[in-house]
Amino acid sequence: MTERTVSDDGVFRLETIHLDLPAVVAALSQRLRMEGVPVTPERSAHFAEALTLTNPITRRRLYWTARAVFVSGPAHAKAFDLVFFSVFGQQLDDEKFEPDEIQTISAPEDERPKSKHKTTDGKSEQSEAGSMSMSPAGEEDGDDDADEDGEEVEIPVAMASEEERLGTKSFDALEPHELSQLYRLMTRLELSTPLRRTRRKKKGRHGEHVDMRRTLRSSLRTGGDPIKLARRHRRIKPRRLVMLCDISGSMEPYARAYLQFLMCAAGAGPDAEAFVFATRLTRLTRALAGRNPERAIQRAAAAAPDWSSGTRIGDALKTFNDIHGRRGMARGAVVVILSDGWERGDPAVVGREMERLARLAHRIVWVNPRVSADEFSPQAGGMLAALPHCDALVSGHTLKALGEVADAIAVESWDRKQSPMMNYKPPAELADDEEEAWGSATPVAGSSFAMPSGSSPSRGNTTPGWASD
Amino acid sequence: MSPRGATGEAAEEIRELVPDVETLAQRLAGVDYLVDEGLATTMFLALRLPQPLLLEGEAGVGKTEAAKALAMILDTPLIRLQCYEGIDAAEALYEWNYPRQLLSIRLADAKHAELGESELFGPDYLIRRPLMTALEHPGPRPAVLLIDEIDRADDDFEAFLLQLLGEASVTIPEIGTIRATHPPIIVLTSNRTRDLHDAVKRRCLYQWIDYPNRQREVDIVRRRVKGASETLAVQVADAISRMRESDIQKPPGVAEAIDWLAALSLLGVERLDADAVERTLGSVLKYSEDQEVIRAAGLEQLVGSSD
Repeated sequence: MTERTVSDDGVFRLETIHLDLPAVVAALSQRLRMEGVPVTPERSAHFAEALTLTNPITRRRLYWTARAVFVSGPAHAKAFDLVFFSVFGQQLDDEKFEPDEIQTISAPEDERPKSKHKTTDGKSEQSEAGSMSMSPAGEEDGDDDADEDGEEVEIPVAMASEEERLGTKSFDALEPHELSQLYRLMTRLELSTPLRRTRRKKKGRHGEHVDMRRTLRSSLRTGGDPIKLARRHRRIKPRRLVMLCDISGSMEPYARAYLQFLMCAAGAGPDAEAFVFATRLTRLTRALAGRNPERAIQRAAAAAPDWSSGTRIGDALKTFNDIHGRRGMARGAVVVILSDGWERGDPAVVGREMERLARLAHRIVWVNPRVSADEFSPQAGGMLAALPHCDALVSGHTLKALGEVADAIAVESWDRKQSPMMNYKPPAELADDEEEAWGSATPVAGSSFAMPSGSSPSRGNTTPGWASD
Repeated sequence: MSPRGATGEAAEEIRELVPDVETLAQRLAGVDYLVDEGLATTMFLALRLPQPLLLEGEAGVGKTEAAKALAMILDTPLIRLQCYEGIDAAEALYEWNYPRQLLSIRLADAKHAELGESELFGPDYLIRRPLMTALEHPGPRPAVLLIDEIDRADDDFEAFLLQLLGEASVTIPEIGTIRATHPPIIVLTSNRTRDLHDAVKRRCLYQWIDYPNRQREVDIVRRRVKGASETLAVQVADAISRMRESDIQKPPGVAEAIDWLAALSLLGVERLDADAVERTLGSVLKYSEDQEVIRAAGLEQLVGSSD
């Protein structure tokens, strides 16, 4: 009701706002909350107070007053604008706020053959949900179906043999219900990054610094003579873990499983960040937080609008470097890139951006599920360009192989010079032995994981994903 | 009603100083800090509600300057806390004066006097770090407390700040809770290297500072570099905005524009040309890759007359 009074024209402003203050505050707060902007009663009270202070006689003033109080990050600005202009009418002409959470990279259509399956429609629906990222999903049909997958399918008590079977089954051959089981198994993977020294100190008997405060306190008991020196040492803390996952068409069969892996990683500690990319780079750290994997993955699907489109690894890496990496997120971190290295853009860009990233990061681990797959082909120019800057290349196409990813992440120190990949030259001629050349480029033992005979993946027809069947 | 509001006279004084948003904008312009309506409104609210103000934006858009300007118009000290990794209470809030404590213990011993722990850990032996200084500021108007680059500190430190942000008080185990008589105006800045905790954001007003539009940028650099000609300032602003549009790693901020104009006028450059740009490029672009990109695009084109 307030909305309608207000959206008339200029005359209302002086009167309505003054008369209807509580109603305006309540209506705006409620609608903001519905759009996912966190509105607390405290903030609403602040807003009411702010309105009496700024005395908004123009819509611009009202806009900025409300925004200052309710918006606490670029991520909420879009939702706020949407609500504000739906309540108070037209958009301010000069006011555009681009959230830097989603960056568009123009990408050509993917020319690779996509695996055909029923889920394509469901996905395009989800991609329309687009950038209204954190809004509580669940209205769309696709989402509901995905939900049922998680909650109605009976998960048989996984016996040892079952777990073993799952452990070596390639992700692209998994049935939807197996994915839920897989999640439980994945949470057992211990993802720990190498440690680093921080500047923060803590008590310790053999520390290198004298803790004056404690020394003095104990010296009170001995008449001011510091008989025993209390010591402190630098606290050790795990490095940040940054995961970048390719969700383009060619990675589709693995995307869902990797997203679960990302979620486990994001839950591994406060210092983990997750991104996905195809034509854009989307930060998923927030979306993946939480206990329920089904919900988290729905949120993630809604947040990233570019599922199974073309890939621009180079541009995605550039965006990451520009927006996040350079500012400090990648500094001293372990960066994990999950991608098959199929680059639609210029591989030279991939090389350049990987070089930049390598200068910032502590280690770069590249996870490429095709390293061990039958049809793996080194034509992926992006992969070749990126290789000199990677510290480890692992396959990670099965649960067991993911264990190797965890190993590669945890390696304490890695001398880049010793990496066999540093000396790796792409074969001049892409001959039959190409697979071996790649296999030998993997520094982590057994990472070119051999598929057990008989369970070879049949790509395309049993694609796990958001399938509702 | 706000738990951390300035009291009585101080609040009255601030109200007189900034009765409305326009006056605040004019006063800020008076100290050479030019704001758009969004930033003016947010700063106004930060002063009058009052509530801590969280500023985010690219490097060099004037986040830190905002706090300085506020301190100037209020004519109060600016107390700055530069955050870094591992910063803790001893470096941000207070530390005990250990040598002095030791000396006092000895002295008391020699005189056979009693020296209790409560004396030893009293205000006399306290070394005040920035946060404590801001809380104990005697007035008459509140100090401006700038907590710079909060994202560089770790999340433990954020949690430590909550009490300060919410109630303008801190608790010291040995002494008790210290409540500010003149709660400081708090400005936090962040470069978004990581997300701040919601609990911090909830307590703050938020503003994203963007690059200024061309006209405002010309005004800003001319105010900061006295004696620079308008032609030169306009050319610098144009060239800077072209640099921001090109594909470089670190687009120059307003701070770089000011540095550049200052360098150019120091060299006595009247009109910006390719040669002048070449000589001074280092004051704008700090990555050799970026300089290459701009050179490759052609310096002539960079200084070409605007459309």
